[in-house]
Amino acid sequence: MKMAALCSEFGDLVQIKKQLISVISLSKERGLLHSSKWASELAFALDRLPKDELPPSHPFTEEDAQDLDALTLAKSYFDLKEYDRAAYFLKGCCSQKAYFLYMYSRYLSGEKKKDDETVDSLGPLEKGQVRNEALRELRVELSKKHNAGELDGFTLYLYGVVLRKLDLLKEAVEVFVAAIHVLPLHWGAWLELSNLVTNIEMLKSLSLPDCWIKDFFMAHMYTELQMIKEALQKYQNLIEAGFSKSTYIISQIAVAYHNIRDIDQALALFNELREQDPYRIDNMDTFSNLLYVKSMKPELSYLAHNLVEIDKYRVETCCVIGNYYSLRSQHEKAALYFQRALKLNPRCLGAWTLMGHEYMEMKNTSAAIQAYRHAIEVNKRDYRAWYGLGQTYEILKMPFYCLYYYRKAHQLRPNDSRMLVALGESYEKLTQQLEAKKCYWRAYSVGDVEKMALLKLAKLHEQLNESDDAARCYMLYIQDIFSCGEQLEHAEVSTALRYLGQYYFKNKLYDEASLCAQRCCDYNDAREEGKALLRQISQVRDQIETPSADLFAPLSNNNTPVRRVSPLNLISFTP
Amino acid sequence: MASVHESLYFNPMMTNGVVHANVFGIKDWVTPYKISVLALLYDMTASKTTLPERRRLNKLILPLQQGPDLTLGQFLKTVEECCPQTAYAVKQRLQEMADGELKDMEYFFSTLPTPFTAFDSEAYKTSVVGLFMRHMLLAYNKLSFSQVYKLYKSLQLYYHSHYAKPADGRVSLPALVADDSDMDLTSTEDTVGDRIDREELDTSLHESELRNDNTPSSGPLSQKQAEYFLARQAYLLKNDENKALKPAALQEELNNMLKFNPDFAEAHYLNYLNSMRVQDIFLSAHCLLHYFDRLILSGNEGKSNGDEGYGRSLRYAALNLASLHCRFGHYQQADLALQEAVRMAQESNDHVCLQHCLSWLYTLEQMKGSESTVLTEDSVKMAAHFCLPYLASLGIQSLVQQGATQGKTAHKLMDALKDTDILHWKHSLSELIEISLAQTTSIWRMYGKSTMALQQAQLLLNMSSLEQVNFGVQQNNTEAFAVALCHLAELHAEQGLYCAVSDILQHLKEQFPPHSQHAKLWMLCDLKIQFDRHMNEGKYHLAEPLVTAISALNKTEGLYRKAQVLKALNRSTEAYSVLQRLQVHCERTKCTEVVIRVMLSTAELHWESCGFSTALPLLLQALALARQHHLQSLASETILHLAFTQLMLGVPEHALSVLHEAIEPVLAHGSVMDKGRALLLTARCQMAVAGFRPNGQGQADFHLAGLAVDTLNEAAGYFSKLNCKERLRDVHYLQALLHRSLGQTSHCHKSAMLFRLLDQELQSPAPPVSMRL
Repeated sequence: MKMAALCSEFGDLVQIKKQLISVISLSKERGLLHSSKWASELAFALDRLPKDELPPSHPFTEEDAQDLDALTLAKSYFDLKEYDRAAYFLKGCCSQKAYFLYMYSRYLSGEKKKDDETVDSLGPLEKGQVRNEALRELRVELSKKHNAGELDGFTLYLYGVVLRKLDLLKEAVEVFVAAIHVLPLHWGAWLELSNLVTNIEMLKSLSLPDCWIKDFFMAHMYTELQMIKEALQKYQNLIEAGFSKSTYIISQIAVAYHNIRDIDQALALFNELREQDPYRIDNMDTFSNLLYVKSMKPELSYLAHNLVEIDKYRVETCCVIGNYYSLRSQHEKAALYFQRALKLNPRCLGAWTLMGHEYMEMKNTSAAIQAYRHAIEVNKRDYRAWYGLGQTYEILKMPFYCLYYYRKAHQLRPNDSRMLVALGESYEKLTQQLEAKKCYWRAYSVGDVEKMALLKLAKLHEQLNESDDAARCYMLYIQDIFSCGEQLEHAEVSTALRYLGQYYFKNKLYDEASLCAQRCCDYNDAREEGKALLRQISQVRDQIETPSADLFAPLSNNNTPVRRVSPLNLISFTP
Repeated sequence: MASVHESLYFNPMMTNGVVHANVFGIKDWVTPYKISVLALLYDMTASKTTLPERRRLNKLILPLQQGPDLTLGQFLKTVEECCPQTAYAVKQRLQEMADGELKDMEYFFSTLPTPFTAFDSEAYKTSVVGLFMRHMLLAYNKLSFSQVYKLYKSLQLYYHSHYAKPADGRVSLPALVADDSDMDLTSTEDTVGDRIDREELDTSLHESELRNDNTPSSGPLSQKQAEYFLARQAYLLKNDENKALKPAALQEELNNMLKFNPDFAEAHYLNYLNSMRVQDIFLSAHCLLHYFDRLILSGNEGKSNGDEGYGRSLRYAALNLASLHCRFGHYQQADLALQEAVRMAQESNDHVCLQHCLSWLYTLEQMKGSESTVLTEDSVKMAAHFCLPYLASLGIQSLVQQGATQGKTAHKLMDALKDTDILHWKHSLSELIEISLAQTTSIWRMYGKSTMALQQAQLLLNMSSLEQVNFGVQQNNTEAFAVALCHLAELHAEQGLYCAVSDILQHLKEQFPPHSQHAKLWMLCDLKIQFDRHMNEGKYHLAEPLVTAISALNKTEGLYRKAQVLKALNRSTEAYSVLQRLQVHCERTKCTEVVIRVMLSTAELHWESCGFSTALPLLLQALALARQHHLQSLASETILHLAFTQLMLGVPEHALSVLHEAIEPVLAHGSVMDKGRALLLTARCQMAVAGFRPNGQGQADFHLAGLAVDTLNEAAGYFSKLNCKERLRDVHYLQALLHRSLGQTSHCHKSAMLFRLLDQELQSPAPPVSMRL
């Protein structure tokens, strides 16, 4: 194909723009709407080309001319979703374009019929058997042509899709790679390929054409494989190379930030995106998740209303509304909207998980388990569903049973503190303190988002009478809380201060103890104890000042534990 | 893939986000096969047939109605065997519908006798036939237009797929599979491989399964077929693993089944069982939890247990998890899971579940090697109180086992076993009957009554299976059978019948392949037999390497055998230290049998250093222990040792009188080796009493000498049976001596020659004849 030859250096934006424009028209002619949308969005982000620079329209062959009438007719039927009719009129056409459209409408017709069939099947077992009957025939025909080497980039892509639907994944990967080599600019093929790549080793083993679009693919892949740092780097490079206006990249970066729970960054990007593209619905469900996490009710409400005005029958809209209701604690309605989202697109796995959360809120554990299991069936790597299952069983008071699920979630997100804290709590309930300690410490080490791990660890040490370790943890906890700046609702600084005060008092470090006690007085629940401690300290100090105490002064110094933390640290952070 | 699950949401039966697979309680859907059955019923009511034919057909109705879907060929064949005329009529009717139009099928349904009007016919609404017809009519009337059309299409396919390839004889594909016309796909080389694999899989399946089973091929199964498949495989896994599909093949079938129906929870459970077979902890845990996640949903409908259905399955989920960890030897994990199950059962007052937990708890304690008698007793009492015969008698069996090792009197144990047996037969708990028989075998053997043990083992092996549905399984591969067969092998080995032993072991190997759960039993048994054989034949260098293998399977046994080899190789110091270690260990674990054996071996070590008098107290202690625990074979063995010591200490008269006590049981129950040794010892005592001196001095009692000759002859017979040349040499030596003193020169020469031959063959210098038993 000529397009392949056109692949040039990454830096040449004009060339890229030209390529994009030509591929847009190519995919539009073939009814590949999503690919052309993607390419158009990207093209829009690049500078306008002067009139004489515009790429020439594609050469018109003799075959094309022959099929022109049939193709035009069929295309209009195709656009009206009358696939069988389109296929009928395209039969016998010999141009590549017509052949693709012929096969593609047969494929879509099969898919449509399959969806219709599922509604009235014969019995519960038969419902799983409904399949696209056209796939087999398509595969036979396409494989013959493929062996003869007669397939162009688009038909190769279609062949790959057919193979994937028939669960012949290995062959599908090969065909998609071949399709990409022939026609690197067709984003649909890349996207299909990305669905089939399961791990980084597989990604590395693929031989991909060296084209600028590969960077987009790699960035997308890194996001999918949860390698967020690499993905962000890639996207940053793309922005610097001149795609700074692309809404696609902005949304992808925002999603990436969402995945690593950098909420503020993600929110900022989404707001920017909304400004640039106010009627955008894609990715708005992710945006609403962020708003939900931040409990920004007015913003979420505004977003929901806005989206309903744009299009209320979109999966994303339903998810946003679901989140909105959930935030307002109207869980029945929320579940209803998630169900609607699933009705619109059963493959939408986020909705399954969210629905599970809603059922959890409604204390309908069995429905929650069902929803989470569905989510896992759609995607085994959905850590939120595993985590949700764990939570469900924890609520059912089965701490040992839920360990398995938390472990599974942890396996998928080894550096997520929430799973580790959950694991630790379960171990604590099972009185496996050693394991629990390990979990909490690890949760702190990987960067605890909820700032609870240290507190729990400290309390655990306290229970086990390991006062030095407990004090150390409380100290770290206080540092942690104050260094993050914002005031957390559940922060138990007073508990920590109280313990530290008592600890220093016991170890005869009266200066530090009185400092802690004073701090205690800042908090309502610890004020009395703080005052009591201060009184005690002053009493003891009075005794020390008597001469007899001098004898013991050096002794008491020796008694202080070796591992104590320098109390001076406390001064550096004031609330 | 996602596409499979799309259908889930469009499911009309989904309410409130939960799929109720059976919201109307209708399991029956009209399938082409069901239409054929309807046609048969219709023809039976309509036409007149002779009485015997009628009878045969009537017998057919129930299995046809309730069985899995058959192909048309199978169906017609079954009917034809009963009544060819009806079969022809049914075929005609089906042909009319299949070759006609949609209206023919509609007409057929409208002409069916309505069960509400036909009062006097068999199709009255409350009869079996009437109920079935009502089900079918209801299901048919519920179908939408497109569903009816689809049904008609599949009926056509059903009919024509039978007549398209009648000569083939292969079981055709299940009814509802869409036309499998992808054979031409094999022309593309990339699929040839897996296509052929499929084919091979299919054919091998067909060979291994019964012909009339609907083994699933690539296509999906109907509900009944799937249930049947699962039930059958689960049964086979439990009772005769060899007949079940190979783990990989079964996994593939299950994956296939789950792909088409992800809601089929039982398949996950079978998957769990299958993974247990190959000791795959990850997959089995995964499947178990998945199964219970699914079960919790379906449990909502509520078994009529009174309490909420799904709390119940939660408890059992935890319990099953405990048993899983127990199987893999993760005792701590199992303990935690069990505690959870116990807590939940207590909270919800579920005594039955609690009881199950309790019985697992004592099993777990036992596996951990700690004392659990009290726990078990409690468990039995509670189980009896809640009328759980299975658990109660399982507990009793466990108690009996503990009691046996701790020296409870035999009659108490046997009484307990008899009582449980009554319980088993009453409730026909076949599994427990088997265990009970195997246990009796073990107990008899422990007491040294080989004949009784043999009889019990044979009883178990000859018992035919008591399960109602046994899928053609005669012999189960449960642990009980493995134990009984191992005992049988050892009993035969004791009698020197090595040929039979190898047959039994061969059978064991086939029945319990090395990867299976109970394979270790026969492995240990095999090694022990080989070891004993080598030791008897004096091939110590061959016995030595076996020790390592034995220790791998059973540490205590391995240590004991090691001591024996060391002793035989005259490395007494090492042997002594090993025996000391072993004794300490066994006294701690209350392993009385081994303790006694260790004492005997230690006594033998003392003999070697001529410390006969130091051996005496040990032997007396051993005798007391053996008597206390009713271990007859060990007691007689100890008496032999005692007699030998007395002989050596120069009191042969005493020795002979002691021997009289032991000789009877030894001859009745003992192994060939024991018999030979006992007789040899008797002869020597007789010689000593008769006044023989090794150098032939002094006056001998000829009568006694004659007796001794006979005894020696008998002993020689036993030893030659075992090919025990060293002892045979001793016998010949003594014989030569006796014959000389009796003046029988020719006999004397013969014995001397035999001695000479053996001596040359053995090459090793003969140990002083007196120094061993």
